[in-house]
Amino acid sequence: MEAAVELRQIQLQVLEPVAAAATGKALSKFSMLTRFHAGYFRISLSLCGQALLWKTLIESSTETRALRAVVSRLPSFAFVLLWSLAFLTLLALCFLYVARCVLRFRSVRAEFAHHVGMNYLFAPWISWLLLLQSAPFLRPDTNGYLLLWCLFSLPILALDVKIYGQWFTQGKKFLSMVANPSSQISVIGNLVGARAAAQMGWRESALCMFSLGIAHYLVLFVTLYQRLLDSNSLPAMLRPVFFLFFAAPSMASLAWDSISSTFDAPCKMLFFLSLFLFASLVCRPALFRRSMRRFSVAWWAYSFPLSVLALAATEYAQEVKGAVANMLMLILSVLSMVVTLVLLVFTAIKANDLLPHDDPFMCSFNNMQ
Amino acid sequence: PHVLRAFHLFLGTLQPADFDIIHSPGEDLAFTKVREAISDNIQAKKLSISSPTSPIQMIEHYHVHSISISMPASPSAFDRERSKGIFESEKGGSDITNGKINHPISATGGLQQQNQSKFHSQPMPIGNSHSNTSPDIKILDSPECQQQISWNSRIKDERYDSFKTWFGKLGRQMCNLRGKPQEPEEVTDAKNAKPEAVPAVGRYFDALEGPELDKLKVLIFCIQAILWKTLATSPSMTFLHVSPTINPSLWCISLALMGLVSAIYMLKIIFYFEAVRREYYHPVRVNFFFAPWITCLFLAIGAPPSVAIKLHAELWYVLMAPIFCLELKIYGQWMSGGQRKLSRVANPSNHLSIVGNFVGALLGASMGLKEGPIFFFAVGLAHYTVLFVTLYQRLPTNKTLPKELHPVFFLFVAAPSVACMAWAKITGNFGYCSKIAYFTALFLYASLAVRINFFRGFRFSLAWWAYTFPMTGASIATIRYSAEVENTFTRTLSVALSAISTLTVAVMLVSTIIHAFVLHDLFPNDISIAITERRAKASKGCMHPVTSSSDTVDSEACTSSKVEGHLHLPALSGATQVQL
Repeated sequence: MEAAVELRQIQLQVLEPVAAAATGKALSKFSMLTRFHAGYFRISLSLCGQALLWKTLIESSTETRALRAVVSRLPSFAFVLLWSLAFLTLLALCFLYVARCVLRFRSVRAEFAHHVGMNYLFAPWISWLLLLQSAPFLRPDTNGYLLLWCLFSLPILALDVKIYGQWFTQGKKFLSMVANPSSQISVIGNLVGARAAAQMGWRESALCMFSLGIAHYLVLFVTLYQRLLDSNSLPAMLRPVFFLFFAAPSMASLAWDSISSTFDAPCKMLFFLSLFLFASLVCRPALFRRSMRRFSVAWWAYSFPLSVLALAATEYAQEVKGAVANMLMLILSVLSMVVTLVLLVFTAIKANDLLPHDDPFMCSFNNMQ
Repeated sequence: PHVLRAFHLFLGTLQPADFDIIHSPGEDLAFTKVREAISDNIQAKKLSISSPTSPIQMIEHYHVHSISISMPASPSAFDRERSKGIFESEKGGSDITNGKINHPISATGGLQQQNQSKFHSQPMPIGNSHSNTSPDIKILDSPECQQQISWNSRIKDERYDSFKTWFGKLGRQMCNLRGKPQEPEEVTDAKNAKPEAVPAVGRYFDALEGPELDKLKVLIFCIQAILWKTLATSPSMTFLHVSPTINPSLWCISLALMGLVSAIYMLKIIFYFEAVRREYYHPVRVNFFFAPWITCLFLAIGAPPSVAIKLHAELWYVLMAPIFCLELKIYGQWMSGGQRKLSRVANPSNHLSIVGNFVGALLGASMGLKEGPIFFFAVGLAHYTVLFVTLYQRLPTNKTLPKELHPVFFLFVAAPSVACMAWAKITGNFGYCSKIAYFTALFLYASLAVRINFFRGFRFSLAWWAYTFPMTGASIATIRYSAEVENTFTRTLSVALSAISTLTVAVMLVSTIIHAFVLHDLFPNDISIAITERRAKASKGCMHPVTSSSDTVDSEACTSSKVEGHLHLPALSGATQVQL
């Protein structure tokens, strides 16, 4: 134990020039901020996604009988509770990350340079946008909503310009070198912004962000399928991130649904594609075996895509009112709720594991520093 | 041996020939195409022989297949008799259809029919006795037919009328095909065809050198390929079918053949499951598992209207279920499956898996289903985008195809053609998306067709059958397009393309027959390759350093990326060396 601590100290000293002669306590404080990274926003993503799902289920329950069966079991205050939990979690994580930016700016820079880490810089903004859309007290046609949308979308656009531009202009960060499944978060960011804008009534902005997302999604989809990098792209512990494969088309389907006001053929096609990818991943449990050995924050990557898929299924069931569609919606909604609940329980029980000392993601980009 | 070989050939020819596409431009005109069962069979057989495996093994399979299929004996009179028998039955059907060539499209169909019937009648004078309706049937040469076709093309309204009048006839003919769908329950009907012959072959080779499951696998794979190829040859000849009995008879023949092939393949699965399993694990061959299902789908599409009515939506689900499962496996592998990265193993035969989606969407839309066809269309479109980009990139990590298998590049044309027809069927009209897909297909066709040099320089082989499917698909799409956009140019184009595809099929048939029976160089190296194969055979596991003869054996068991070494083919075929 002592040896391990000492080893960690040595590591930190080698990797973190700033933490030179720190005492144990200072070390632990620094190390927490050092080990904290944008990937932790997966938690907020999942919770905000769940809140949006609940809100959609509640709002559309008046139309669909099947929904009412599910929603009637959700007490109304439970939704407010969930939303508050998501809000507080997001606030806490943002605060931590701001502290990290201020105190450990080098780590933030290194994270931005990492091919996996840079994508999670979208995650806080996506979470805020989801929270905005699911807010129980804020309607889309208010000025506050508009202002907040601008506030949260501008960083997404700025990150877009930086990261997408890097894809095809910068030597070391070509898409063929940095593409990995977590790159789809950038696409999802654009699509979430597009959906929020469409709900506000700003169709042109919505269309603009949607086209940004979809164009880069096309490129990314092909590149990821080609797997040019394969082994270098994602460590085994981050395999849950593969679930993003079906989160992106589901989000695209939802965004186009908001833009075109009906769940028409392109929405259906995107939804079916995400269903297929979901089935394809679920049939491959061996892919996730290694990452399931130990609890880590990567497990939270399971929840958000499931919520988005359930959302898309809800919209689909509203359009195509059939038994199969309703069944699909119910199954997916229940699945996403159960997964989120299980993850919450695991987090509560194994809070220590949440900030492990040997988080592989940290090591990989600490090495890059 | 002769019997076995004849039997093999017979089995090879026993592929579902009929392929009908019922599409309705605006007024529910049905474009049904009946494939010549016999020509299909032959094609299928040839294809199976030339079944493209991984780029490395393609040449090997190419030759090996031929070897394993054919007995070292030359075709006996018995074989010829059997072949004749097949041809005659086909000829009879085609004669009837050749009788009436009134309209451009029907003419093209008829042309194909005629070509094939003509072809049939050529080697066998007996067949002439079949001609019944029109005495001028046999005489029709391609130029004559074309003249008539061009003359007919001036009759604009009439053509459309003929479409309508013959629609019913065609439909009826097509219906026969539908009876077949319950047959293919195995993964590959082509494989079924093989099992029947396979035990015989296996026994034969056992007598020679010991059991070689791989050879069987090769055989089965060949037949699969043939099956797939026969799918391709579905010209829009139905309009020429004056007699309503042509299509039903052809369709019934295809049905029977399909059933036979299925039975055979079941036998193979039962007796030689190992071979089948290894074929399944092969990264390239697994694409050909789609072939039988696609065949069944085409049969269902091409069924005559009387049969089509009886088809239930459940049939569609039954047919698409295996395709769906196969897709989950194959596309999942693309995404995350270890060594079988798309960047390494992408080759034009991957188009087969994509085409299956579009054909399923087409059939589902024809049946009136709504969500299912869109599902498969979406999945097919997404993965087609990936494959299209990858193949166009010609990544350096991708293994290049040997020259003999360049005809497989024509598969580029097949996917957008079928996609365009499927989308037209789903939306009910030939809209912008269908037109975009159609023009893409047309452009790819043109851009491949003008690259004569790309497709020259190697002798005739069964891989040439890879030309026929996409050509036919493009012709059908052109006909559909010309029904939407009516002017002289489109009609001429449709006639020309149909004529070309018919001609190609006929030429293929002739060449195959000639090479198989006259020149005997279609399957060279029978014995030598069989022997070498056997030596290398023992290794069943993957990751085998390839010895000279072990390629076919190992390649099937291992992923293509693992195969290394040289592939020495016997000198008979002009020892092709493929360095892996």
